[in-house]
Amino acid sequence: MSRVRDRNNSAWLLPTDGTRTNHRQRREMRRYAESDEVDVVVVGCGAGGATVIQRLARAGFSVVGFDAGPFWDPDTDWVSDEAGSHDLFWTDPRVISGTDPVPLGANNSGRGVGGSMVHFAGYAPRFHPSDFQTATLDGVGADWPINYEDLEPYYQDMEEELPVAGEHWTWGKPHSYPHRPHPVGGNGEVFQRGAEAMGLTAKVGPVATTNGRFGNRPHCIYRGFCLQGCKVNAKASPLITHIPDALAHGAEIRPDSMVSRIAVDDRTGKATGVHYISDGVEHFQRAGTVVVAGYSIETPRLLLNSRSALFPDGLCNNFDQVGRYLMVQGAAQTSGRFESEIRKYKAPPPEVSCEDFYETDPSKPYKRGFSLQTVAPLPVTWSEHLTAQGHWGADLRRRMTDYVHWASFGTLCELLPQADNRVTLDPQTDQHGLPVANFSYSMCDNDRQLLDAAQTTMEEMLRAAGAAETITIKRFAHLVGGARMADDERHGVVDADCRSFAVPNLYITDGSVLPTQGSANPALTIMAVAARAAEGMIKSAQAQSAQT
Amino acid sequence: MTKSPIPYPRFPGFDVMEQAKHWDQVTRELVESRLQPPDGDSFFSLSERAVAATLCDQLTGQHEDPRIPVVQMIETRLAANRTDGWHHADLPPDRRTWQQSLRNLDADAHEAHGTDFPTCSLDQQAQVLTSIQKTSGLWHGLRADEVWNLWMRYVCAAFYSHPWAWNEIGFPGPAYPRGYKNIGMNRRESFEVGQEHPEQGPVPHQ
Repeated sequence: MSRVRDRNNSAWLLPTDGTRTNHRQRREMRRYAESDEVDVVVVGCGAGGATVIQRLARAGFSVVGFDAGPFWDPDTDWVSDEAGSHDLFWTDPRVISGTDPVPLGANNSGRGVGGSMVHFAGYAPRFHPSDFQTATLDGVGADWPINYEDLEPYYQDMEEELPVAGEHWTWGKPHSYPHRPHPVGGNGEVFQRGAEAMGLTAKVGPVATTNGRFGNRPHCIYRGFCLQGCKVNAKASPLITHIPDALAHGAEIRPDSMVSRIAVDDRTGKATGVHYISDGVEHFQRAGTVVVAGYSIETPRLLLNSRSALFPDGLCNNFDQVGRYLMVQGAAQTSGRFESEIRKYKAPPPEVSCEDFYETDPSKPYKRGFSLQTVAPLPVTWSEHLTAQGHWGADLRRRMTDYVHWASFGTLCELLPQADNRVTLDPQTDQHGLPVANFSYSMCDNDRQLLDAAQTTMEEMLRAAGAAETITIKRFAHLVGGARMADDERHGVVDADCRSFAVPNLYITDGSVLPTQGSANPALTIMAVAARAAEGMIKSAQAQSAQT
Repeated sequence: MTKSPIPYPRFPGFDVMEQAKHWDQVTRELVESRLQPPDGDSFFSLSERAVAATLCDQLTGQHEDPRIPVVQMIETRLAANRTDGWHHADLPPDRRTWQQSLRNLDADAHEAHGTDFPTCSLDQQAQVLTSIQKTSGLWHGLRADEVWNLWMRYVCAAFYSHPWAWNEIGFPGPAYPRGYKNIGMNRRESFEVGQEHPEQGPVPHQ
């Protein structure tokens, strides 16, 4: 029995008969009564929530995890098709504003058990040590109340549990991955060729996709539909990496249940449970501790919608910090035309990365940096690349016939956290009558300079690899921040252990707590932060019970 | 009806539906349903539908039957209010923006050419659209670029989810449970078809 299996048996609890869901486990799942005061309720079953549910259930806590969306079955709910994957995304109404409004939905917002990792590409890099102290090192962004070394053991644990495949990583703090790098397709070959011609380093990975069997999860089959939910069970999402083990340890998952408000006792100032809506009926679940993990839009929205006598401006919002410092990464994608056939739809979109430009370069006018990765838009998404150039009608159709000849790279630029990039409540309401989120986003000068530098580098790489022509689509990716961790309540919403400053039995364990974002895809860091927070909760409960 | 009329034939003989037997059942049924006459709920009024249909024909360059039923696919989406999960603060929600923009489009046709948008000549229709696309700032009180983007998103999501469009661009569609064996530049599966004159590209390079 391997060490990872001792810690998290999820991959061994999945079926071995070619189907993807352990239905018996779900049928026999423990169910708590609403009148029971469970130890913990967790709002959201994505990267942050599911990790906490699994850790706490294993430690003997009674846990109920809520998700607004379904408890997915990859066999029957997911398709190998772009348009048919619409329900994987959070498509309830939301408003976007600011000078650089950020599209949500398919771009960055999941729904259902597994969260956004169900449709993330699969890149699972670590942050660099510098990401935890950008204010001290570069005079921009913020310092975290924890540092890289605090998270490092949790990074290692998560890389084994997902598991992550890739070459030995020489950027940031050097480390290796548990699975070997995957073979690369045409798109990855172009990336490697371009990097080599420019004297840059390219590394295969890191992707949270099995390369070889892992427990009962099979090898990746390179079908290219990673962003549509992995029907193979090869790509990691908490639906298969953490929920099965949580169920085996007595956790309950309550899907299709939209938490509308966190209840707080005005006398004690403590959270008492959550109001939620299921099948149009409002319910209340009592709990000793509430953990919020709804990601950077829904977590602030839930807090702002949870007003009470004690918290007239929204829960934890005494110092007007909720919803602020929300970040997205500048994620322009540049494509190049080759006479050779690339057929980028073959092989997973995430193949090869370069982090040579991740850190601040003193010779440049801007601070912080960007990473470069392969991306592989399927036809509907590829059409957006062409419509972004202004093509339509017969012209668009003709250009689309050239699909198989184009390779595509993407950048992740570290756009800086700014107080006014935030979620507020909009007068518009959703189907439950709850005010929806308005996400306002505007870039600063440093952001624009980074984006220009990254685009230029991608164009140069593609030309160095032999591209005759390049096109770029400007876009954003990922979400973090909105309820950040800080040293005190005047600068953030939660402390270093993800406990809210305002309510002692309320935690936030999703991407909202990140004070900076680096140029790394955030999933692995969100899980590592959540695993660390869960360990803190377990230790503090043990200390408490030792006292009594 | 599995063969599509392709005005831009670069992958001769390629028909993704020949591979449908290799797809998982849920995906196969979904893709096959797109080849049946659309049976979704209606959303547009008669006059809105006529303008929307003409708009979709123009934006996809489909001017004769058989067509990929783009306008019906959009109408089904709007009837179910299946949005992308966001709208700009300065645009109404998608349904209202669609209705409003179709009225505005028809008004532009009347002003420029003295007749309804659908009864304009193809060139006149294209002129009206080109002028909207080139508008910076507001168009009938709405941001022109945001309206154009909304149209293109709905139109392309419908058009490029149809197997005829995949035939046209050489994309073999769903790939589960089979996956791919031959990944890498210039490597094909047995069911992938090569292109005529790959060196030329779809349009002459500048």
